[in-house]
Amino acid sequence: MALPLVIFYFIYLAFVLVFLFYTLFNLYHLVRFGLLNIPVIIVIFVYLAGSIAILLLSWGAIAQIDWSQSIPLMPTFPIQ
Amino acid sequence: MLKFFIPHRGKGEQIILLLRRHPFIIAVKLAFWLVVATMPPLFMIVLGGEMDVLFNHDLFGPLAILFTSIYYLFVWLFALHTFVDYYLDVWIVTNERIINVEQRGLFSRTVSEQKLYRVQDVTSELKGIFSTLLTFGTVYIQTAGETQRFIFKQVPDPSHIARRVMQLAEENKKRHHDLMEAEQSK
Repeated sequence: MALPLVIFYFIYLAFVLVFLFYTLFNLYHLVRFGLLNIPVIIVIFVYLAGSIAILLLSWGAIAQIDWSQSIPLMPTFPIQ
Repeated sequence: MLKFFIPHRGKGEQIILLLRRHPFIIAVKLAFWLVVATMPPLFMIVLGGEMDVLFNHDLFGPLAILFTSIYYLFVWLFALHTFVDYYLDVWIVTNERIINVEQRGLFSRTVSEQKLYRVQDVTSELKGIFSTLLTFGTVYIQTAGETQRFIFKQVPDPSHIARRVMQLAEENKKRHHDLMEAEQSK
């Protein structure tokens, strides 16, 4: 029996979705209940730039992984 | 003129004081997230070659990359949330009322208010080393209402704020008194 590695990739994507959802909600709160002035615009810009940088760096590393691999669930021993 | 979102703003109502916690408070919280962000590189330095083995492993390599990505995404998100929490936690004193807006997490927001003429007693307090050195503290506002007293937490220069609130309350009481007399004499 083997577990496809791609499962972890989908779990990762679920975390990214949660991240995007909370990001949108935080930014919505800032704009809706705060005031869209220069310092807030700078914070939003820096935050979005940082997020994009993290996602691009992650993508650079993730794209090099062979997701078609499987993880053997039972240890295999050399049989003579 | 100070600008901020205030619920059901009255005609001619102006924001006199817009208070947030002292910047030192957010600086400490953001410094915490900075320390958390430096943990993985520290581990890399301390463990050195062992981490290279982990990242080059067929199974643990991909998992380590995914985990590191999630780790940094969420540290970044929590840092933003710290700022949002700081920025939206405000105490507003207008020429008519005191409004306490408290952001508790993302899905809970409490807004309470009290009329300025109901203010009875204002107390300021400095407590602790940083509070004394940087002059930030707590202002307690006791009102005639049944609701618990208003507390401005960790605000800069609390004694000045206490004096200003008391002054505004006195002016508001006088204005209300004059209005009541004018109405009675009609």
